[in-house]
Amino acid sequence: MRRRRFVWMVAPAVAFVAVMVGFPFVDTLWLSGFAFHFGAAPHAVGLGNYRLLLGDDKFWNGLWITFYLYAIALIAQLVLGLYLALLLNRMRRFSKVLRSLLISPFVLPPVVVGLMWLVILDPSIGAANYLLTALGLPPSLWLASPGLVVPTIALIDTWQWTPFIALILLAGLQALPADVFEAAAIDGAHGFALLRRVTLPLLAPSIVTAATLRSVDLLRFFDVIYVTTQGGPGDASETLNIYGFRQGFVFLNIGYACALMIALTVLVLAVVGLLARLRRTVAW
Amino acid sequence: MRRAIGLLAAVLFACAAAGAHAATFDWQRYKGHTIHFLNENNPWANELRRELPAFTKLTGINVEVLTFEEQQMRQRLVTILQSHDAGVDEYMSLSSLEGPLFAHAGWYADLGPIMDAPGATMPGYDVKDFSPPLRKAVTFGGKLESIPVNIEGPLIYYRKDIFARCGVALPKTLAELQAAAAKIHKCDPTIIPWVTRGLAPALPYTFSNVLHNFGADYFSGPRRPDLCAPKATAAIAWYADMLRDYGPPGAVNDSFVQIADLYGAGRAAMAFESSNEFGPIMKFPGRAKDTGLMLLPPGPGGQKPTVIGWGLAMSAFSQAKPETWYFMQWATSKAMQTKLALRGIAPPRRSVAASPAYRAWLAQDPVRAQWAKLIDVMASTGTGEVGPPVRRQAQARQIVGEAVDKVLLGQAKPQAAACSADKQLATMLATP
Repeated sequence: MRRRRFVWMVAPAVAFVAVMVGFPFVDTLWLSGFAFHFGAAPHAVGLGNYRLLLGDDKFWNGLWITFYLYAIALIAQLVLGLYLALLLNRMRRFSKVLRSLLISPFVLPPVVVGLMWLVILDPSIGAANYLLTALGLPPSLWLASPGLVVPTIALIDTWQWTPFIALILLAGLQALPADVFEAAAIDGAHGFALLRRVTLPLLAPSIVTAATLRSVDLLRFFDVIYVTTQGGPGDASETLNIYGFRQGFVFLNIGYACALMIALTVLVLAVVGLLARLRRTVAW
Repeated sequence: MRRAIGLLAAVLFACAAAGAHAATFDWQRYKGHTIHFLNENNPWANELRRELPAFTKLTGINVEVLTFEEQQMRQRLVTILQSHDAGVDEYMSLSSLEGPLFAHAGWYADLGPIMDAPGATMPGYDVKDFSPPLRKAVTFGGKLESIPVNIEGPLIYYRKDIFARCGVALPKTLAELQAAAAKIHKCDPTIIPWVTRGLAPALPYTFSNVLHNFGADYFSGPRRPDLCAPKATAAIAWYADMLRDYGPPGAVNDSFVQIADLYGAGRAAMAFESSNEFGPIMKFPGRAKDTGLMLLPPGPGGQKPTVIGWGLAMSAFSQAKPETWYFMQWATSKAMQTKLALRGIAPPRRSVAASPAYRAWLAQDPVRAQWAKLIDVMASTGTGEVGPPVRRQAQARQIVGEAVDKVLLGQAKPQAAACSADKQLATMLATP
């Protein structure tokens, strides 16, 4: 009886997931088996799009850009987020005000963030180069430089999402058992040694959780890139997601775009799977 | 005698039919109906939107307007059309870009039978008044697929005061243009000598003019890309060199918005951009007085300007075709095109271009007269080829744009970039 009631309770959630996640995924998988350009009749090619993908330089470039951006943005956000969380955890005054202020970047719509930074980083009239030249430094091309564009996008994302990491880690810090820290203090652990030997191992589950949440976003990063560079200059910031979008909605090559999106989904699931496993190993 | 009676009867019938046609036309016929108009944020659409209350007042038809930037408009449009959705009744269409694909897919409504239906078209509309090359550009397989709303092509906006101050004569060849940019750069390093498009998908619009002036073409024959040929490679090198040596920092991301802003704000000496930006640029303080205009000077292959035009098309899936045609004929009528011409939209109708009102408006300012004259030259001598002649225009233009950008960014030599682009185009053509 209880079992039947349980089934009825979860049924709406299962139905929702099946309709909203399952159907689009299956449909995308199905379409990836077709040579299908908008405006022309589709015809089945089996795994042809995936074979095409393996020989496509743009796919490998997109994969590299996706991971490059993911790695530098995630590392920067975890390091700075941890630093901010430790700082907030020790603050006795203005802590609440600062927490409220920290929320502001990540509640901004990505399009607003992109446009705002586009103006700040404009090589001709932007405030960033004005600041650099005022400090006697040479101006930079920022988003217009093939070498700098990915670190610059990572910088924008770090500006927006570091506070999010900080707040997750702050919650983790505040939930840590006080007696462990008292015992460590009695044993003479202070400063960096305390951080390395006690705080970080205890905080590891929260760090991995924050990393997982950001990983999902960073691997399918789209909006800010679309607003600021559209994958340029050239293809220097063309992540897999941007490349898939271009193939689908600009070149109208829907079948191939679906194959790219399936590849991206597999990539995201693989990374999330690895992080889930890591989370289990650092649990205490 | 019988022949004469027959002829008389035919004439009477024709007169009666024409009379009935005119008499039954009623602007209020579709009062209370609603149509959906998808348009992009460009000078023609921006001016037309200001007139929409007058259309609703005249006809009683409500117009739901959906405005996007060009790329977003196209992305939304193809999704709607692919799904055969009736959510958009009419849309702006660039036949030089999407015309072949849309016509092949059957996404345009054939306007001929719609406008020829009894009582459907206002008296004196006269579709033959539109410039013949423009009508040809919007006709696919003998079907009129859209109505031209403007005529445009890239031209050079230059600062007469800077040219005079730096002692630069108007360039008569592409080589002289490069020398002029160099001289301005030396004379006043605070001024950007040359701005034009660097953003990969937008760049073929301006690059094509350079390519043709170098005497090159995208293809040497059906399905045979030819950018690797010496003339085309030289064109790529020239375009990239000009932007790298005399363009603004970050030129690789620039499209018409940045170019109009840089030139309009007085930061650039020359802007190679669409004639369609004339109105917006002239609104910047001082530009109407200090701006001169010229076509891209001849190169080794002569002078072959680019000329295209936006059109107003009806969706093949519209459930409101007659009322949509009411809007289209109002928007492209002689009266409306005259009104818009006086705001800097180059008229595609010959009668409007020759009208006293338009001529008087042009005569008010020498730069306006110069602009109209250059558009006349474009219309009579220009080519509509803005990218490789293939159905998958967007992808082909991206390939061309990326090749030029690779040279601009120093990532490849012109020859290597051009040959690589040819290979990509060939692969694209070979892919089903």
